[in-house]
Amino acid sequence: MEGVQLETMEYKQRKKISFIKIDRHQVIRIVSLIVFFLGWQFICMINETQELFNPKFLPAPTQVIEVAVKYIMDGTLLVHIGASVYRVLAGFFAGVVVALVLGILITKSKMFDNTISPLLNLIGPIPVYAFLPIFIIWFGIGESSKVGLIAYATFMPLLTYTIDGIRNVNPIWIRSAMSLGASERQVFIKIVLPAALPNMFTGMKVSLALTFSALVVAEMMGADKGLGFMIINARNWFKTGDIFLAIALIGILYSLFLSAIIRIEKIIFKWKKDGLDGAIE
Amino acid sequence: MATLEVKRVFKTFEGLKSDRFYVLDDVDFKISENEFICIIGKSGCGKSTLLNLIAGFTKPDNGEILLDGKAIEGPSAEKGVVFQEHGLFPWRTVKQNVAFGLKLAKRKDADQRADYFVDLVGLTDYKDKYPSSLSGGMAQRVGIARALATDPKLLLMDEPLGALDAMTREKMRVEILDIWQKKKKTIIFVTHSVPEAVYLADRVILLKDGQVKLDQHIELKRPRQVRTEAFQNYVHELEQLLTDCDDNVFSE
Repeated sequence: MEGVQLETMEYKQRKKISFIKIDRHQVIRIVSLIVFFLGWQFICMINETQELFNPKFLPAPTQVIEVAVKYIMDGTLLVHIGASVYRVLAGFFAGVVVALVLGILITKSKMFDNTISPLLNLIGPIPVYAFLPIFIIWFGIGESSKVGLIAYATFMPLLTYTIDGIRNVNPIWIRSAMSLGASERQVFIKIVLPAALPNMFTGMKVSLALTFSALVVAEMMGADKGLGFMIINARNWFKTGDIFLAIALIGILYSLFLSAIIRIEKIIFKWKKDGLDGAIE
Repeated sequence: MATLEVKRVFKTFEGLKSDRFYVLDDVDFKISENEFICIIGKSGCGKSTLLNLIAGFTKPDNGEILLDGKAIEGPSAEKGVVFQEHGLFPWRTVKQNVAFGLKLAKRKDADQRADYFVDLVGLTDYKDKYPSSLSGGMAQRVGIARALATDPKLLLMDEPLGALDAMTREKMRVEILDIWQKKKKTIIFVTHSVPEAVYLADRVILLKDGQVKLDQHIELKRPRQVRTEAFQNYVHELEQLLTDCDDNVFSE
């Protein structure tokens, strides 16, 4: 009994130590960011007196914040962010759905696979942005061409992950399910899809970067709102503060989306790490 | 009621170059109700192939396999299978794994039955845990509970204890015998351990180069004592036959 208590105490102590360790890493990370922004600010302040370069080239962080406050006050910033968020959401979900449907069809039917795969291999490697002008000509300068491009950028890499996930399901799970009386359809719905889901989420995280690139490119051509538009419009008026603001917002949006996906992953796949505490026989 | 007839079954290698053409070469035997059969043999002797045929995962090239007089068409809940690598669904809890077949069969008592079988293998405390948190022995017990829950006529076990350590193996053997005696099942148990086969089986079938080399009843009272002479005699006799197989390999 005493031994057990001692052991748990030691365990707790070790845990405490590891917490301190994590904290120290966290501190260094935060300090790094603070130094970066302070340095940036410092350079700009020196530049104001020394005039080393045109201050327009590099606005100080405080100036960027001023710009942000101004646009928040007149309400334009929210419109731009809203437009971009809507496009990302719509395009991303459309891309996920198309990837899932095509992935299922390709793995289910050899005939479909043989028909569609050569086409995908032909078109797939072409950078999606090359298609934007033709998307605009086909779908107009409205939302559909932008959402379409974002969806396309999302779906391409995701499809590979989906197909991989479906094809590489552990065959013992399939055999287990069949020997428990599952029909082919039940095996697919109850075994293959849940087993392929982790791979799909990996695919989503990978393609999210492309989703955002497609968003910026689509908004730079033929848009009248959105963060990409903000950048291109600011360039025309040489408002570098606006450019930096839009860039920062795109970065923040991307991080938010990524962490949302990771959060969902943790909830859905909590079976992956149930903790080994229970496995004492 | 479950009798199994394996009638002159042939199965060829698929795409594999080998010195022999058949994985299973005229395999023929009969199993009666409640019998505990162990199939032993070295790797590559065709024992897993035979089990896959009986489970319905693959079809024989020639001959037929009859369960209660009806040819086996494919996998079904009549033939429960326990795999070496347990094959639990990692996204389902222990209880959900055991209930899987019951829910498919739309049994109203699925919940109680799952609880009962989780309890039978002694894992009630772990019923809401995911397989990732179970030890190898525990996972294998869930696999057995899952296969038993749908009340199969026939229980097929493909080296179920192969991945376990010696201590757990011994405990599991006793548990499997216990379950077999309680539940009155016909069991086909594949293993490459001769003492394990002698300990468990009513009858040992020895496969060699895809053929039945020996079909031996084990006339020992249960619970069997490993240290008795009679037990060791069986082990020696069977091991002798298995090593003959090795000599052939070396002489080639």
